[in-house]
Amino acid sequence: MICRVLLASFLAAAASSTALAQVRQASSPQSFDQLLQSAEKARDEDRNDEAIHLFRLALVQNPNSEEALWFLGAMLYEKEQFAEARNVLRSFLAIRSDAGPAWALLGMSEFQTRQYPRALQHLQRAMAEGMGDRKELMQTVFYHVTILLTRLERYDDSLDMLQRMLASGAPDPTLIEPAGLAGLRLPYLPAEIPPDQRDMIALAGKAVVALQMQRQDEVNADFERLVVAYPDQPGVHFLRGASLAELHPDQAMAEFERELAISPSSALARVRLAQQLIAAGEYDRALALAQQAIQLEPKRASAHMMAGEALIAKGDTSGGIKELETARQDDPSIGRVHWDLLRAYAATGRKDEAGKEKSEIEKIYHSNSPSHSQSLGDSSRDSQPPQ
Amino acid sequence: MATSAATSPSHFEAIAKQAETARTQDRVPDAIRLYGEGIRLRPSWADGWWYLGSLLYDQDRFNDASSAFQHLTSTSYRGPAYAFLGLCEYENRNYEAALKSFRAWAGAGWAGSPELVDVALFHFALLLTQDGRPVESLYLLASVAPRLGDVPELSEAMGLASLGLRYLLENYPPELRERIWLAGKAALYAAQSPHDFARADEFASRLEKRYSGQPDIHYFRGTIFTFENKTAEAEREYREELTISPHHSPSMVALAALDLEKANRVEAGELARHAIEADPENPEAHHLLGRVLMENGDLHDSLSELATAKRLAPDNAGVRAHLAMVYAKLGRSQEAKAESAALLALKNKEGVMAPLTVKLRGAKEGAH
Repeated sequence: MICRVLLASFLAAAASSTALAQVRQASSPQSFDQLLQSAEKARDEDRNDEAIHLFRLALVQNPNSEEALWFLGAMLYEKEQFAEARNVLRSFLAIRSDAGPAWALLGMSEFQTRQYPRALQHLQRAMAEGMGDRKELMQTVFYHVTILLTRLERYDDSLDMLQRMLASGAPDPTLIEPAGLAGLRLPYLPAEIPPDQRDMIALAGKAVVALQMQRQDEVNADFERLVVAYPDQPGVHFLRGASLAELHPDQAMAEFERELAISPSSALARVRLAQQLIAAGEYDRALALAQQAIQLEPKRASAHMMAGEALIAKGDTSGGIKELETARQDDPSIGRVHWDLLRAYAATGRKDEAGKEKSEIEKIYHSNSPSHSQSLGDSSRDSQPPQ
Repeated sequence: MATSAATSPSHFEAIAKQAETARTQDRVPDAIRLYGEGIRLRPSWADGWWYLGSLLYDQDRFNDASSAFQHLTSTSYRGPAYAFLGLCEYENRNYEAALKSFRAWAGAGWAGSPELVDVALFHFALLLTQDGRPVESLYLLASVAPRLGDVPELSEAMGLASLGLRYLLENYPPELRERIWLAGKAALYAAQSPHDFARADEFASRLEKRYSGQPDIHYFRGTIFTFENKTAEAEREYREELTISPHHSPSMVALAALDLEKANRVEAGELARHAIEADPENPEAHHLLGRVLMENGDLHDSLSELATAKRLAPDNAGVRAHLAMVYAKLGRSQEAKAESAALLALKNKEGVMAPLTVKLRGAKEGAH
């Protein structure tokens, strides 16, 4: 169990800070206090089954005891009784909704019981509430958030998480498969990878990690090996194209075209190709691709963004603004859309609206530190404003 | 007799008011405590049970929420209470009880807010798949697919049902993940409104390429082709399935249906009989044989087959329609009228036991 060792030390630390001194609310305080003391003694002496039994008895006396709920939940988790741990932790969090580590254990329990959407939600809550200085717990939470984002087809968010993890520590071999899955946009957990795809995913993961860590010497060789070994697999040419987009736009376009031949209904490949075409001044084709992408995925903000940019470049400013406003409505967090709108509003004399866009840009760039230079997924993740 | 302060109407009303205030101010623990106090003072307070159950459910406290909703199954909250009860029991892993509650919910008219209906339908469908009723499950899932769009959990559920895998999302073997994903995406895109056949085909063809030797894959591919009116391709796939799974009753039924459409009654009849041999409990096989016999003028044998189909699938409107026709041809007008009346009553449930193609068509029509 990934979390087990760190949990033991975490429990010990938590024990010292909790609360024999806390005010207890038992209806029969003496009995409850005795039970809690005995339970804590049993836990300290590693008589865990007995401790669990005593915490349960204590909760009969006082169902809202934070200490009993927390220690019982954590001990059940440690004993891999995840369904029960989950139920106890839920009760604890109903009282202490600001307890980041408890959200972490709840999310991990739900991961083990395979309630993935809920696990992701609660692990992200743990990240939001904070986990103090418990670095190992944080890493475990980050890792599981990353793989769950991929499992739930939020590949770009998963790649962002990977980037954060890679930026904050030494290369970690356990991130190779998650990186490969997110890069190839395959919604599996590492444990669900089909055996005959494991090599391909590992190779893609190695390339993605090399790119995200800016180890340029490895990047080209890894991607080249990937493309040569798996030329017909969906996702491979898209990933290669995304890795080339910044420095080798012509080659990137060729890769996106290859991807579309293999995955004809890929909206994302169309968006990325449209982005390259706009940069190359080929607005008609870019617009056609963006419009196809909108048809395939009407809610993909980046498709509307590309359509808007192409229309404005072709001289249809009002049509372009309309598309950009749709993109903004679908995803207000894309800095590039606000840049586009700022320019378009300014160019058409709509000063107030331009001012609002400027504030939005400042807000976005203050709240996100755009650490990565290049997106391996949706164009909307590009941190740079359009030229 | 004097009334104590604790049970006086004014005290109850004060608690009820405080509970409502706490709830509207999002003070959830206070609201739960106050609603609990209110129902202790007045156990018949349906609104109190309702809000208590809803608040507990929102906090993922499914055991406690379940107890609250139990109190509502004989009140005006009956319909949505059954939906919530099913959801709580699902979360508590009491799957048999959950299925029973969802059936009661359906019987009470599928009541609830649009969000509750979507969530309850989804979980009802999951349980139907696990219970070995993937066609009914797909009917429910396809009915929400156009509205919900490309939601990963929905496609996963559709993948399980499409391949007839009797698992829940939480318990299927990890090695099935890829095929469930691919089949689910194909089914989900085919069920969109308007249909996205291009993407459905892309995923179905990836599935077929990866798992061409596995059971149920070609049958699934065939159902997508049938839905696209590509009957030659569909027929090829159903026949391919039979080379892999020689006793695959649904493929025989599908082929028989195609033969019947082409007025090839001899082969349709043979296939339907083989399907019945392979799975005597397959209602569609009996239904099809009944139709073939009816068209051959063999009304008594037709009646027998259709009656078997009715016994196996009492909610199948198509079976009732053909029964009404056979009774009419036999001059048994009272029975014909009764079946016609049953058909009308089932109108809203039409397609519950129909093939995937019909389900998906139903979903499309329902979306307009």
